[in-house]
Amino acid sequence: MNIKKRFAKISHLLFVTVCLIHLIPNKTVKPDEFLYTLGFAVIVEIGLIAVCAAAKKPSTMNLPCDIAAFLYSLLIVWTLATSKFSLLKEMLFPPPGVVFKQLITDIPQLLPHIGSSLALVGKGYALALVIAVPLGLILGTAVRAGSAATYVSKFIGAIPPVVYIPYGIALLPSFRAVSVMVIFLASFWPILAATMSGVLYIEKRIVDSARVLNVGKFETLCKIILPASLPQIFTGMGQGLTVSFILLTSAEMIGARSGMGYYVKNYSDLGNYTRTIVGVLVIGIVISLVFFLFNKLQKFALRWR
Amino acid sequence: MSKIDIQNLSVTYEERGDLFTALSDVSFSVNDGEFVSVIGSSGCGKSTLLSVLEGLRTPTSGTVLIDGKPLTGTGLDRGVVFQQYSLFPWMTARGNVAFGIKQTRKGFTHKQRLEIADEYLEKVGLSEASNRYPSRLSGGMQQRVAIARALAMDTDILLMDEPFGAVDAKNRVILQELLLRLWQNEQKHKTVVFITHDIDEAIFLSDRVIMFTESPGTVSKDISVPFPRPRERAALLHSPDYADFRSNLTTLFFDTEAKIGETEEDWVVI
Ligand SMILES: Nc1ncnc2c1ncn2[C@@H]1O[C@H](COP(=O)(O)OP(=O)(O)OP(=O)(O)O)[C@@H](O)[C@H]1O
Ligand SMILES: [Mg+2]
Repeated sequence: MNIKKRFAKISHLLFVTVCLIHLIPNKTVKPDEFLYTLGFAVIVEIGLIAVCAAAKKPSTMNLPCDIAAFLYSLLIVWTLATSKFSLLKEMLFPPPGVVFKQLITDIPQLLPHIGSSLALVGKGYALALVIAVPLGLILGTAVRAGSAATYVSKFIGAIPPVVYIPYGIALLPSFRAVSVMVIFLASFWPILAATMSGVLYIEKRIVDSARVLNVGKFETLCKIILPASLPQIFTGMGQGLTVSFILLTSAEMIGARSGMGYYVKNYSDLGNYTRTIVGVLVIGIVISLVFFLFNKLQKFALRWR
Repeated sequence: MSKIDIQNLSVTYEERGDLFTALSDVSFSVNDGEFVSVIGSSGCGKSTLLSVLEGLRTPTSGTVLIDGKPLTGTGLDRGVVFQQYSLFPWMTARGNVAFGIKQTRKGFTHKQRLEIADEYLEKVGLSEASNRYPSRLSGGMQQRVAIARALAMDTDILLMDEPFGAVDAKNRVILQELLLRLWQNEQKHKTVVFITHDIDEAIFLSDRVIMFTESPGTVSKDISVPFPRPRERAALLHSPDYADFRSNLTTLFFDTEAKIGETEEDWVVI
C-alpha cells in the first residue's frame, strides 16, 4: 500500500475540521472547555493513525476509520450547536468539552460505582449460568422433561423481569439482593431455553458417533452434548447479558445507593445534566467493553467452527 | 464359528402409523478376518443393516451373533465409519482419533494416546493436518481421519457404510488403496463389513460380495471374489479375468433388480 492509499481518508479531513471550528468565537464563555474537545479528538486521531500505519490490508482500516469519522461528525455538530451558535439550551446540553472535563474529574468517584454495578451483574449472571446450563443439558436430553420445560420456560421467560422488582423488595432483605435476583431471573430463562434448543438440534450423526464409541452417560453430557450445543448456548448467553444490563440499570435507578444507574438517576434528579451525560457515556463504554470481552471469549470457545 | 452371524433379520420402520419393511429375512455370516462388501441400490436397506450391526437399532425380528454371542447394543469390539462425516467438530483431527483410542484401549496416558493418534494419522497421510479442526478439512480428509480413528481403536470388527460415497473419483481410488493396504498390513486381519453401491470398489476390496435386492432388502446373491491377495489395482484392472468377472457381476446385479428370486447357476455363485 502506498502512502496515499493508507492516509487519504475522509476521517482525517473531519479531524482537521474539528480543530478548525474552534477558530469560530464562542457564544458562551467557557475558557478551557475546547482544550478537552481537542484533547479527545487528538487521542482518537493518534489511535487512528497508528491503526492505519500498522494495517496490512486496506479492509482492516475501514472499521476504525468509520468509527472515527462518526465520532468527529458528532463532535462537530455538538460543538457547533452548543458553544459556537448556542442552538440548544446550555443547561440541558452542555458543550462536549465540559462533559469531557467532568468525566475526567469524576473518574475517582465513578470507579466504585462501576465496580458496584459489575459486581451485581457478575453475581446474578454467573449464578444463572452455572444453574441454567447444566439444567438445560439435562432437561434437553430427557425427551419428556425437555418438551414440558420448553413450554414452561417460554411462559415464564415471556414475563418482563422488571415486574419482579417490587415483589423482590418485599421478599429480600437488601436492595442489592433484589438486584441480583432480577438479574439472575432475567438471564436464566434465555440461557436455559438456548441450551435446551441446542441439545435438541444436535445432529443425529454426532449422537450416533458417541453411541458407537460407548461414551458413558456423564462423559457424553460433558464432552459431546455440551460442546455440540455450545454455539446455541453462547447465543443465549449474549441475550442474557443484554437483559442483565437492562435490569441492572433499571434496578439501580429504582432504589440503589450506588452503581452507574444510580449515578445517572441521582444527578438528573439534582438537575446536573453534565454529569447525567457523563453517566450515560460511562454506561455505554462499560457495556461495550464487557461485550467486547464476551465476543472474544465466544470466538475462542467456538474457534472450531 | 463365524465372526458375525446374521439370522433371519428383519427391520420394519413405523412412521405415523405406516409400516415400511426395510429389511426382510436377511441371513448371512462373515468369517473371522474376512472382508465382505454389501452392495445394493440406494434405499435397499444397507445403512439399516449396518445400524443393526452397530447396535444403534434393534431389529424387528431375527438375531445377530458376534463370536456366537447375541448382539445387545453398541460395543467396543466394533469400529465404525459412517456414511456421513461423523467426526466431532470441536476436536482436532488428532483429538478425534485420541478420543476413539481412549474409549477402546485402556491403560494409556493422554500423551501416549496422542502419540498413537499421530501414528495413525501418518498412516492415512494426514500428519500435517493433525492439529486442524474438521471444518478446516476437505470431505476426503475428514473421511481419512474417520478411518484413522476406526483403525486406531484396534477393534476386531470394522463396519463401514459407503465411507467413500461423498468423495470424488480420484480421491476415492486413493482411499480404497489406502484402506486395502492398511487392512492387508495388519498382522491379524480385521473382519470388515463394507457397504457400497460401486461394483469396482466391492471387487477390488473384498473377499466376498453380497448383493441386496430392493425394497424390502434381502440377500439375493453371495459371491466369492476369486482374485488373490495382496491385490494391486493396476494389475487387477488389466487382467482379462477381471473384465469377465465384473461383467458377470454387473449382469447379476441388474438381473436381481429385475427378477427377484430366480437362481442363476453361475461359476461365481455359491
Ligand atoms: N428412520 C427411518 N424411518 C422410516 N424409514 C426409514 C428410516 N430410515 C430409513 N428408512 C427407509 O428405509 C429404507 C432403507 O434405508 P437405508 O438408509 O437403509 O438405505 P440405503 O441402502 O443405505 O440407501 P443409500 O445407498 O442411499 O444410503 C429407505 O426406503 C428409507 O426411506
Ligand atoms: Mg445408506
